Amino acid sequence: MKAPAIMERAGKEDRTGLRDAVAARVSAVIRERSAAAELISEAEILSLLNDEHLMFLDADGTGEDITVILARLVQESEDLQKLSGAGSPCHYSSYYMTEAYAQILLRKREGPLQLIAETVRQNACAYQRPVPLDIFTLPPFNLAYDKVLEYLALMAQTTGYDDIVMTSTSASGIYLYSTSHLETEHALMLAEWLDVGQAVNP
Amino acid sequence: MSGYGGWAGKVLRVDLSTGRSWTEDTIEQYKAYLGGTGIGYKVMWDEVPAGTKPYDPENRIIFAVGPLAGTGAPCNGRTAITTLWPTCWPIPLVASGHMGGQFAAKLKYAGYDAIVIQGKAARPVWLMIVDQKVEIHDARRIWGQGIRGATAAISEIMGPDAVVAAIGQAGENLVPMSVVMNAVSHSAGGIGSVMGSKNLKAIGVRGTGSIRIAGKKEDWEKLIKYHLSLLGGNNQHVVPNSPQPWAEFYDPTTRWNASRGKRWGAAGHLVDTGTCAPRETNRIAYRSNMAAFFLGDNAWKHTVRGSGCTSCPIRCHTMLKVPAVAAKYGIPAVGQNTCVGFLFGRSFFKEFTDGPKGMTALEACMVGMHLADDLGVWCNYGQLQRDFIKLYYSGVIEKKLGTREFKSYSWSKYEKGDPTFLFELLPRIAMKEGELGTVLGLGTGYMLERWGLSETEWGKDKDLAYWKMGHPKHHASEEAGQCGLLINLMYNRDSQCHSHTNFLRNGLPLPLQKKLAAEIWEAPEAVDGLGDYKPMHRSKARMAKWSLLRKELHDSLSLCNWMGPWVASPIRERGYRGDDSIESMLYKLATGDNKDREELDKVGERILLLHRALTIRGMGTKEMRLHHDKIPEWVFTDKSDKPPFTKGATHLDRNDVQVALDMFYEELGWDKATGAPTHGTYRKFGMDSVSAALSKRNLEPPA
Ligand code: SF4
Repeated sequence: MKAPAIMERAGKEDRTGLRDAVAARVSAVIRERSAAAELISEAEILSLLNDEHLMFLDADGTGEDITVILARLVQESEDLQKLSGAGSPCHYSSYYMTEAYAQILLRKREGPLQLIAETVRQNACAYQRPVPLDIFTLPPFNLAYDKVLEYLALMAQTTGYDDIVMTSTSASGIYLYSTSHLETEHALMLAEWLDVGQAVNP
Repeated sequence: MSGYGGWAGKVLRVDLSTGRSWTEDTIEQYKAYLGGTGIGYKVMWDEVPAGTKPYDPENRIIFAVGPLAGTGAPCNGRTAITTLWPTCWPIPLVASGHMGGQFAAKLKYAGYDAIVIQGKAARPVWLMIVDQKVEIHDARRIWGQGIRGATAAISEIMGPDAVVAAIGQAGENLVPMSVVMNAVSHSAGGIGSVMGSKNLKAIGVRGTGSIRIAGKKEDWEKLIKYHLSLLGGNNQHVVPNSPQPWAEFYDPTTRWNASRGKRWGAAGHLVDTGTCAPRETNRIAYRSNMAAFFLGDNAWKHTVRGSGCTSCPIRCHTMLKVPAVAAKYGIPAVGQNTCVGFLFGRSFFKEFTDGPKGMTALEACMVGMHLADDLGVWCNYGQLQRDFIKLYYSGVIEKKLGTREFKSYSWSKYEKGDPTFLFELLPRIAMKEGELGTVLGLGTGYMLERWGLSETEWGKDKDLAYWKMGHPKHHASEEAGQCGLLINLMYNRDSQCHSHTNFLRNGLPLPLQKKLAAEIWEAPEAVDGLGDYKPMHRSKARMAKWSLLRKELHDSLSLCNWMGPWVASPIRERGYRGDDSIESMLYKLATGDNKDREELDKVGERILLLHRALTIRGMGTKEMRLHHDKIPEWVFTDKSDKPPFTKGATHLDRNDVQVALDMFYEELGWDKATGAPTHGTYRKFGMDSVSAALSKRNLEPPA
């Protein structure tokens, strides 16, 4: 991705200073976003730099590639990280956010179906547990309860989500699990325990 | 007194029959047993012979705290109250209840590590302790009042700095299912009627002293900060319940339920919990909202603040304000509690018109709290409510009550989940009014006996959660496999042990838990996934033993076993390790007694051993494996027809349980055939006189 010639052509003497300024701005914006519990994509960073007239061309007319700038920052900094998903790669600062959290935000950018399915799968695989539907109403998912039900209905008609199963407990709690990682009887027992059994033994 | 720090140095003795009070030197008499339950068991062993009944004047009631009470150690506010347990069936045996609040610290500031009460006053009295001044006051004017009224009346006399532990009408009327309570909501169940039997309405304590820390001030401060850094949310859950930017993991079932946007909605000004990252140790109090955890998200908007015990940043007694209940039920709009205290009213009902977490359920909680915490009725860890539901819906109540009494209750209201039904039921339990009121106040064992119902049948119903001897399970096999089972066998009431469950429910993924388990209990097999139990392994016996020793240590040091131990932490950089030595580090610096972890654990083991000896003496048999360590049938049954040790099955295998018992007794140095400690084991812990007394009565296994 090349930078458009927004700024005047930079002279040799300006180049280092400008490069440092751009690097500082990019690092700052990634950290700011992470502090606010958000990711920022490469495309968003580029657009921001353009808006702020911070991208420049070398004297020979070539501009620095934002991908290169970001790669260098990730390599040289202690905290800046890159995540690749379906869309434009995203960045975050590990000072403010764990990779696990960043991955959820990335999935969120990939759409609600993918977000729900991958979250359910990850819970089933890594933790051997079904998840209550309610979890998707909380940050960072922030989906409305009824919307989640709609998405689940949609998933049932969409290929690629056959493993995602919904079950309800004796207290009417709705739980989701993935049959790829959790045996049905185990999942049902766990859902009942998490929703009802634990309450008897608080 | 010796040069030790930590202890106040004196044990206060009060004989209510004679009105005499005197003191003993804590170190001389009790140091080998630390404090808390340790002092309680020691007094019971030395002074209360087998065959004594809970309400006999010869029975003792021991309010004891430990060397860490009243210091700056986190979560140090627990008072252990030991006596002969009136709900222990079929014969009352020794047990202890534990209340938090401010009582423990105030007692220390007044100069005492324990109060031992014996005898029986000729008329209702209350005990006033202001430092060295100990007075027995006439309580006739407050007898008949609830806990709230009695507390207010005594506080008016003693001033705002005093703490009052009082009983309600239930305790006065010798209802076995009764509590003593201090600081609004901090109760110990099972004790109320023993105080009532002594005509003791309350104990008020005001102390102006302080606790000396033996170590250097800088070292103590550093240690407290270190301990705080290891703290999780309530129950030492070290993972938040929803994804947080700072967290690698989340677990929807943990009690760390803070999150940006979660607000204490009735606080009077905006209080957002924020994300509560572990490094923010001055925000620990925002991590857990127990009202929201137990009552659902609706509780956030009614939350005023957290409340809790001395020096505990967790504040697990959430204060709620529900204005609607004042007009609707004529009760205060504000109430506070935690855990089963919150659920007291709600748990009587099978359903509510607006669902299990709707407004009516919340109102039932408020009504239940208001009534139970004033009348002083105990729920026996929810068994009262489970029994009630079973008895009603199986038609037993209708069958056992006369028509007139049965019709005197509004059963249609009950079935609809109308909280006003509680106004009919709870006062009758406290007043022993009618057959139903009387029978529910007896505790499960005596209730079943009175109504000719079978305890064995009660033990078959998994949903009833009944365990044995009149009491329910408390984190047993269904969630902690063989380890949970072994722990639940040991006591004469519900086990109240959280050492194991705090670890198992801490929210860390299983591979991490196994890694930590291998470091603490020498093998990853110590822990299994929930509902994925594996056959017995020696490390599970080690974990069970460790859990019990830590429980006894906490109960004797005054640390909160609802929070500790602290062997896992929320700190990623530590690999989520906590510190298995935190108790001994605190103890050593506070007291100056140079005991490391192993040595202090041995003291915990001595305390547990004395409890076992008391139980053997009380039961008059050494055949503990046969007659005491009994397992309810539900442990071996499961709704699925799968065999044990298959995924999704939570029942255990009979033969495997016998292997578990063998290993557990071996770990403790107890005889495998009888489950009784051997002479060698008593000897190892310096308890030759205990051994000799038991041996004389043929209560020790053959060498
Ligand atoms: S966790 Fe709760 S019960 Fe335990 S010390 Fe803290 S406030 Fe008290």
